[in-house]
Amino acid sequence: MVTPVEAAVESLRQISTEPPVWLVPKQELSQAVRAASKLLFASLKPHCTKSPFDELLIEGFDAEQIWQQIDLQSQPLLSSLRREVKKFEKHPEEISKLKVDVEGGKKKVLEEIETENVVVNDDDDEDDDIDMDEEDEDEEEEGEEKEKGREEESENEGEEKGGIEDKFLKIKELQEYLEEDEAREFGTNKKKRKAETKKHEEDTEDEEEEGDDEENEDDTDEAEEEEEDELGLFGGDDESDEDDLGNARYEDFFSRKKSKDSEDKAKYRDMLEEDSGSDDEHVDKKRKDGLSKHEKELDELRSKIEQMEKANLDPKVWTMRGEVTAAQRQKNSALEVDLDFEHNVRPAPVITEEVTASLEDLIKTRISEGLFDDVQKAPTLSSKAPREVKELDDNKSKKGLAEIYEEEFVQKTDPASAPLTFSDELKKEASMLFKKLCLKLDALSHFHFTPKPVVEDMSIQTNVPALAMEEIAPMAVSDAAMLAPEEVFSGKGDIKEEAEMTKADRKKRRANKKRKFKAKAAKRPRANTSVRNSDEGSKV
Amino acid sequence: MSTEATATMEIERMPSESKALPPKPQFEPLKAHEMSDGRVQFRKVSVPPHRYSPLKKYWMDIYTPIYEQMKVDIRMNLKARKVELKTRPETPDISNLQKCADFVQAFMLGFDVPDAIALLRLDELFVESFEIKDVKTLRGEHLSRAIGRLSGKGGKTKFAIENATKTRIVIADTKIHILGSFANIKIARDSLCSLILGSPAGKVYSKLRQVSARLAERF
Repeated sequence: MVTPVEAAVESLRQISTEPPVWLVPKQELSQAVRAASKLLFASLKPHCTKSPFDELLIEGFDAEQIWQQIDLQSQPLLSSLRREVKKFEKHPEEISKLKVDVEGGKKKVLEEIETENVVVNDDDDEDDDIDMDEEDEDEEEEGEEKEKGREEESENEGEEKGGIEDKFLKIKELQEYLEEDEAREFGTNKKKRKAETKKHEEDTEDEEEEGDDEENEDDTDEAEEEEEDELGLFGGDDESDEDDLGNARYEDFFSRKKSKDSEDKAKYRDMLEEDSGSDDEHVDKKRKDGLSKHEKELDELRSKIEQMEKANLDPKVWTMRGEVTAAQRQKNSALEVDLDFEHNVRPAPVITEEVTASLEDLIKTRISEGLFDDVQKAPTLSSKAPREVKELDDNKSKKGLAEIYEEEFVQKTDPASAPLTFSDELKKEASMLFKKLCLKLDALSHFHFTPKPVVEDMSIQTNVPALAMEEIAPMAVSDAAMLAPEEVFSGKGDIKEEAEMTKADRKKRRANKKRKFKAKAAKRPRANTSVRNSDEGSKV
Repeated sequence: MSTEATATMEIERMPSESKALPPKPQFEPLKAHEMSDGRVQFRKVSVPPHRYSPLKKYWMDIYTPIYEQMKVDIRMNLKARKVELKTRPETPDISNLQKCADFVQAFMLGFDVPDAIALLRLDELFVESFEIKDVKTLRGEHLSRAIGRLSGKGGKTKFAIENATKTRIVIADTKIHILGSFANIKIARDSLCSLILGSPAGKVYSKLRQVSARLAERF
């Protein structure tokens, strides 16, 4: 009857372990792996007391969750196993009690260890997809579970720890393999390595063994392995001579080319190192890259020197040539060069928002203050009195030529009696008008107005009632200027009405009338009047 | 007797010379009448047809000052179309006749009577005549334009010159007559010539202003 473990292993075997297959996530692969892991989990279940899961739950869970379940189971298991190992360390005689497993399983185990190492290396330099990583881990973990299962069996038998040599079929092979690996990785002499690392190898071997036996699923264990490897190497270096130290280079430890090589190794390893030529190529490449620092520096210097010599031999760049005209250089080559020359003109100001804002503020303040910087005419100081400009009169002169000369003559001889010139008359008229205007304005504006004394001047008195005059110009004109009744009355004596007259007055009036009539008649030229004849008669 | 007379005269002359010379004869200036041995002096001024009716209009204004103040006889010869002037015995001075003749001549040229009378009253007034073609040869429209330029609009340019220079100007077609004193005539003539030659009236005005100011300053 096939044990569930064996069935799981068988199913895993059926799946190809070529890494490229694992690159792309496939449904059937993941399902097969999950089923296998479930079986393994179930097989381990009886040994683990603390795990909460009875079985590995697969359906509907992603890789991370499955991993966590496995982890939950394995963690306490590992710790217990470690305790057991320590106990065995202290008491080696108990190891012999353990049973050793059948040899048939050793090869498988060896291969698994190798793959595990490969995978470990892969993991350390991991760039792959997470899925692949997880798949690898799953695979790895399965492998380890498988080994654990084997070991359990062997432990149950109780012979494991005692038969190291039995387990790892050929320790020598292992050693050789490790040396080769180291040589490839670190570019060191295999033989030298051999001697120094041998001691540590064994320890590491033990560790590895135990690790394998103990089902390392954790990265930490893998890391431990790696660390142990490196530590072992370092430890070896410390003990070695300085020549060996000198040979160790940066690239030995921190070269990125490891992954490549390891990948190549993964490829070729399965074929058990058949392609030696490719390996040699790898080795050559490694050698070139693995030049010493000093050598590298020398190379750099050499290259630099070559460059400089070349530059010197070549014709100079146009910028280095001194005076260069446009024809001697490339088109638009001056645009690329940052030329420095004196600018005679101040560069135009860059108009930014701040500049415009400052200008606007200035303008506003100027307007508010009224400072416009207007050009003001300089006041001219006139030394002389302003000359009287005689205007040209283009009308026909009213005076005759004789009169003009007459006036001129008179002015020359007797300036005082000279008649007023045209300008003088105008001046007089103007001054008169202005005086009148001033009088009127004073009358309007002064609180206590005193009129000017009346000039004795012939003026027409209008017999206007005083009331009317007062209405027009109350202040300026007084009643006294009005005509008095006696001035209005043009008659003489005592005037009596017709009704008032006495007889004597009437008679008097008639007598006056007659007298006047008579006087008038006498004045008229008399024609054929008897009075004259009588006069003549009297004479004769 | 003559010898005795001469001897006595000679003898007498010597002492008379030594004593005093006879008084210098004082002759009155010759009257106009006596000048040409008592003959009458004539002046005849021809009347152009366009001045015929103004002469008739202003005859009394012409006649009165000549006859009354200048004491010169004046008459109009209608047949010959001339104004004749003759001295009288009362004519004080021969120059009166000439002045009267000038006065009448001025009137005939086109001056008004009040202006021409200045000739009678002042000695130093003259009449100058010149033609436009003396200044610049102008033909056709240019001539008309020049005449227009001289008078100005409504005669204002002419009056401006007259007033500024105290002269009287008569523009008779192409002939120009200026009445005034010598200096003033010169100024007026310069202005008129510049106008004929083409300068604008404004320019002439500005010059006149300067000149008149200078003239006025002198007194």
